[in-house]
Amino acid sequence: MSAETAHTTRPDMIVCENVDKWFGDFQALKGVTATIAEQEVVVVLGPSGSGKSTWIRCINRLEAHEKGTIVVDGVELTNDLRNIEKIRSEVGMVFQQFNLFPHITVLDNVTLAPKWVRKMPKAEAENKAKELLEMVGIPEQASKYPGQLSGGQQQRVAIARALAMEPRIMLFDEPTSALDPEMIKEVLDVMRDLALGGMTMMVVTHEMGFAREVADRIFFLESGEIVEEGTPEHFFTNPTEDRTKLFLSQIL
Amino acid sequence: MNEPATIKVESRPKEPSRTPREWIRKNLFSNTPNTILTFIFGAISIYAIRELLGFILSGERRWGAVATNMRLLMAQGYPANQFVRVWFTLGCLMALSGLSLATWRASGRLSLGKISTWTMNLGGGLALFAILAPISWASRLGWIIAAALFLLVGLSMWFGLRDSEKRFSGSVPTVWFTYGFLGVLVLSLWTVPYGHYAFVDGELIAETGRTVAMSTKLPFTVMWLILVGSYLIGTQVRQWIPIGRTKAVLIGLWFLSPFVLNWIVLRDPDFDYAHIASTDIPLALMFAIGGGLVLYLLSKPDLGEIGRIVAIIFLIFAIFNWVAAFFGWYPMLQKVRISFVLLALAALVAPNFAADKKTRLRFVASWIGLIAVSHWLITAINSPSTLKLQGPTYLGGFSLTLFVAVLTLLLSFPLGVLLALGRTSTMPIARVLSTAYIESIRGVPLITILFFFSNILPLFLPEGMEIAELAAIVTGYTLFSAAYLAENVRGGLQSVMRGQYEAADAIGLTTSQRTGFIVIPQALRVSIPPLVGQAIGVFKETSLVAIVGAFDLLRIAAYVVPSQTEFLGVKREGLLLISVIYFIVAFSMSKYSQKLEERVGLGER
Amino acid sequence: MIQETPPQNYHHQKPPFYRDAIVVKWLFQLGALALVVFSLWFLASQARDNLAARDISTGFDFLSVDPGINLSEGIDTRPATGGRALWVGMVNTIRLATAGILAATILGLLVGLARLSNNWVVNKLGSVFVETLRNIPLLVQIILYGAILANLGDLSYDSGWDNWVIWSNKGLSIPRVFIADGFYQWAIFMLIGSVAARWAYKSRQRQHDETGRDTYPWIASLGVLGAFAVIGWFIHPIFGWVGGIFGAIGDGISKIPEEVLQAALSIIAVLLAGNWIRNFLRSRRTPGGSAQLTDDDKFRVIFSGVSAGLVIVVVYVVWPGLSSWMINSSSDLFGVLDDKFGNGRSGGPFGADRPEVIKTGMFEKYGPSGLTMSIGFAAVFFGVVFYTAAFIAEIVRGGILAVPKGQIEAANSLGMKRSAALRTVILPQALRVMMPPLGNQYLNLTKNTSLAIAVGFSDLVQVGQTVGNQTGKNLSVFAIWMLFYLACSLTISVVVNFFNVRLRIVER
Repeated sequence: MSAETAHTTRPDMIVCENVDKWFGDFQALKGVTATIAEQEVVVVLGPSGSGKSTWIRCINRLEAHEKGTIVVDGVELTNDLRNIEKIRSEVGMVFQQFNLFPHITVLDNVTLAPKWVRKMPKAEAENKAKELLEMVGIPEQASKYPGQLSGGQQQRVAIARALAMEPRIMLFDEPTSALDPEMIKEVLDVMRDLALGGMTMMVVTHEMGFAREVADRIFFLESGEIVEEGTPEHFFTNPTEDRTKLFLSQIL
Repeated sequence: MNEPATIKVESRPKEPSRTPREWIRKNLFSNTPNTILTFIFGAISIYAIRELLGFILSGERRWGAVATNMRLLMAQGYPANQFVRVWFTLGCLMALSGLSLATWRASGRLSLGKISTWTMNLGGGLALFAILAPISWASRLGWIIAAALFLLVGLSMWFGLRDSEKRFSGSVPTVWFTYGFLGVLVLSLWTVPYGHYAFVDGELIAETGRTVAMSTKLPFTVMWLILVGSYLIGTQVRQWIPIGRTKAVLIGLWFLSPFVLNWIVLRDPDFDYAHIASTDIPLALMFAIGGGLVLYLLSKPDLGEIGRIVAIIFLIFAIFNWVAAFFGWYPMLQKVRISFVLLALAALVAPNFAADKKTRLRFVASWIGLIAVSHWLITAINSPSTLKLQGPTYLGGFSLTLFVAVLTLLLSFPLGVLLALGRTSTMPIARVLSTAYIESIRGVPLITILFFFSNILPLFLPEGMEIAELAAIVTGYTLFSAAYLAENVRGGLQSVMRGQYEAADAIGLTTSQRTGFIVIPQALRVSIPPLVGQAIGVFKETSLVAIVGAFDLLRIAAYVVPSQTEFLGVKREGLLLISVIYFIVAFSMSKYSQKLEERVGLGER
Repeated sequence: MIQETPPQNYHHQKPPFYRDAIVVKWLFQLGALALVVFSLWFLASQARDNLAARDISTGFDFLSVDPGINLSEGIDTRPATGGRALWVGMVNTIRLATAGILAATILGLLVGLARLSNNWVVNKLGSVFVETLRNIPLLVQIILYGAILANLGDLSYDSGWDNWVIWSNKGLSIPRVFIADGFYQWAIFMLIGSVAARWAYKSRQRQHDETGRDTYPWIASLGVLGAFAVIGWFIHPIFGWVGGIFGAIGDGISKIPEEVLQAALSIIAVLLAGNWIRNFLRSRRTPGGSAQLTDDDKFRVIFSGVSAGLVIVVVYVVWPGLSSWMINSSSDLFGVLDDKFGNGRSGGPFGADRPEVIKTGMFEKYGPSGLTMSIGFAAVFFGVVFYTAAFIAEIVRGGILAVPKGQIEAANSLGMKRSAALRTVILPQALRVMMPPLGNQYLNLTKNTSLAIAVGFSDLVQVGQTVGNQTGKNLSVFAIWMLFYLACSLTISVVVNFFNVRLRIVER
């Protein structure tokens, strides 16, 4: 599946146009322009501090962009409270540090948002949560507290928590960077299944194997700019930009 | 909420037990300076204990003044024929305590080694007392025998458990040990001749050599039975009713108890039933049904912003009612104004309950419950009391101290949390306002605030509006305590990780949901130890209300008793006694908070 | 890759104001602000009406009227004006707080160390001290100490220990060291001496660095300082001319017209605000383009502008007397300095005396030679000192325990002596932990001296309460209380902060 076909046959899910973002006097994003289609899996690569996390955090408005336009699923991100609510419940996000709520059980973590944001009845929310925990492979941990779980298990709960909102887009912000090596695989497996199931995904990661195997398209960011984009074959075998080559030589 | 699996902490291997001789050498005489220190400070301690005992037991001390005025110190001038209400109040608190102890399984276990050490310490203390106290040789002998008995029991327990494994693992539940100890105290009321002292119709009674009056020992025995009985019931209840529900009910009861016990039980409102039937009940029904309907509509899931706008209009209207009442623009019952405020607040949170029918109906049901309870309380508070009082208030002495402390803590809690949220919020004006409030209150002494509220506050009220002295004091104390509470909660808020906010945002929670479900629970958990510390401070500083004229424990001990003609100028005895009372309460609370701190430190899950 | 512009209808979708996050946020805040301002205004107007109805005028004119009260003790027991009476109260509070802070620190340090002792008796004594005193309310303690002291025997010539310490129901009297006539001129000498001592320290240090020999810089600098102290003791009157300088400065200040000071204050406020705004905007200017100001940033800019405006309003409208008051009081201050440093002061810098009992008329009383504490002062003093010392002891203990064990072991392994390890390794680290809570305790102590009212000691609150009741100006008195205690809090936190910063630098 190439970017072109994905683009022409499916509707746009995320449209970014000339997005700028400053932190104080540091410009984190410089005119980022990109379009991501439905069911597309996009991996964002780049050295640390290149603005990749900032970019995907702008997409569910954890950070507000300052110039340009971001349109997610036909809804523009502005200060409109209703739009922000709508986007947040349609875009799931998984964090590097899991960010599970430590004071409530795993089951409560997963059912909290469906109950209070989607207004789902309790029984239905719990059934759904159990299904999701089954899907990510930890049904037996439902009544435990996050602190009693291993890192990999916690990250899988975090994925289940995001999926419980039935999002149309999933954002992953370095989901495996805080994990011990032996746990990375269990998380990547879940992500791979998700991608095969047709979820629109945007993933910031350093897992080159995952990028090569699962991604439809790869963006390479440096200093807040998209330096290069393309299919995995193009990116890993025949990059055009020098900066990309340098990055790949350092990381591979 | 399910209990997390307890975290087993590998206990540190105990130091090998030493012989007493080794212990003394190591801790007292390890080297020359140490030996000198031991002798100097040993001598100082012995001298101090001897002086203190001499002071307490001196023939000039008139402990009868304290014993005779015990009722005054505890409940001031509460009418004697209505005193059963005081006992009923205490009984309710005992029952709640017993049930809560059983429900939260607050009991740890005391190791037998510790108990035997305590017994030996008690024996040692008694021996020291017998040697140092200025008492007759006959009674000295009696005390020495008692000391020897305790030492013997303690030693035989210690050496009976020679096997050190058993000494540290064998244990009894702390609750039962405490109940046993309290039981012994209660039993002593029936057997030991503490003496019978009282004022009866202004007549002084001082019969030494007999046990205390029946009106004292019987109620205390009943209290003990209630405490133990409710604990037993609580352990049974655990097996029938889900623990979460019991906890919720108990928390609700604890929250209601100060209001109900004070205004309904102790104050005994003289309800005007005709008025209640003609006005109060219809009013309550109107708000319950009308408000319920409004809230049911406002919690419709597809309502959107209209709900918010309606709620804000409600709020403006509710606030405007109070302004109008201040100026006297149009008449409106206080109860109606309060109900409108409640309705507006409920309307503001209504979107959070927008879900299926069941949830919405439950929301409406809790609204009806809220109206029922609040209208009942307001009616009771506004009815005159049936009590015939001599003093200005029906509470006084220790009961007033406790009441002021509890009410202040309860009321300052929401305000403090709000101020802490304001100070840490991203809204600049809210931040500036809360910071200015917190810092200026924290900059001045409590006594000036109390003076302000008792002397100056009346100047700020419109004509015809009055505020009771005690209400003014509690208001001032609450506003003061809230500023300190806010700082403690702020510490907790700052310990909540940034990621928690982001995760809550990312799953689509609104700001109020994020604050209520994610941020505050985590922040409060961290701030529990400092909050208990603050509760101790609030309890201790209630003594300041004595300066602005309230008849609390301190005022009665320091000013009322010494001005009685029978006990003119007898001040130090009463002050020493209340020092002991304050100490017992504050010390046990601080020990509890230390334990909590350990648990919070361990149970970081 | 196909570059595609998003459909036009995405652009310029301005949401209705009630859904705009920023508008809602600011509306909410302005609503809260309006509510607060309205309540304050409302209460104030109510108070004005009530006061007018009761025929009480507000304002501070009572400060210059004779309140007709007697104070139990202080620099002036029959103050001629209300302001003087409050000033006496302030001096009493400051005296009590300063003495209390010193004594509580020393006692707290000793008890804290006792609680760390290996000796069982000492350790237990420390624990009993801390647990007992911090769990009994301070006010109860103060009243109890007052009651105990009031029950001491009557004063006579043989009360106490041989004219070293005298106690009776009239108070305590102990030997006194006091600042005598020549102190201020001697202080100038010492100022010069400390500069010289610092120079000596540095040069010795340099010598040590160059040669590696032990040069004992501390001893050298202390020696220089000591020499200055001794020489200055005898020849300090040579600095009599310094007083004249202060006198001249005072005269100069009194000649400044009020308008000039008002204008200067306003200009300073505007310049400070302008400078702050300029720096702030500069920090937001980016190399990549224009500064992106968030609503928060804009608020800060507006806030600083408004603050400057407020200063001007206060200086010109609310309190026009402020500038003349500032001129008068600072010129007075220099006048006092002129007197203190002036010529004709030939006495030594310090004096010392033992207490004595004298008899005037029928009754014995304490003579002026000793440092005499009245019952009220002693009760509050012991109360705040014991109470605060219990808390300070816990802070000291906590601070020392907070130093990791490894630090002590490391110092030992370097072959440091125990005292050297304590001084150079443990104390600096412990102090860093201790400083903030210690500052808090000093604040608490200062505020707690207000409980003096319970035993009738004339501190600021007691005097204020009396003056307020006498004149009906409770509100104005409350304002003065607030200002005074806020000033005290500010002073203490500035001092503590200073040490805190110093300690952090020492650590680097």
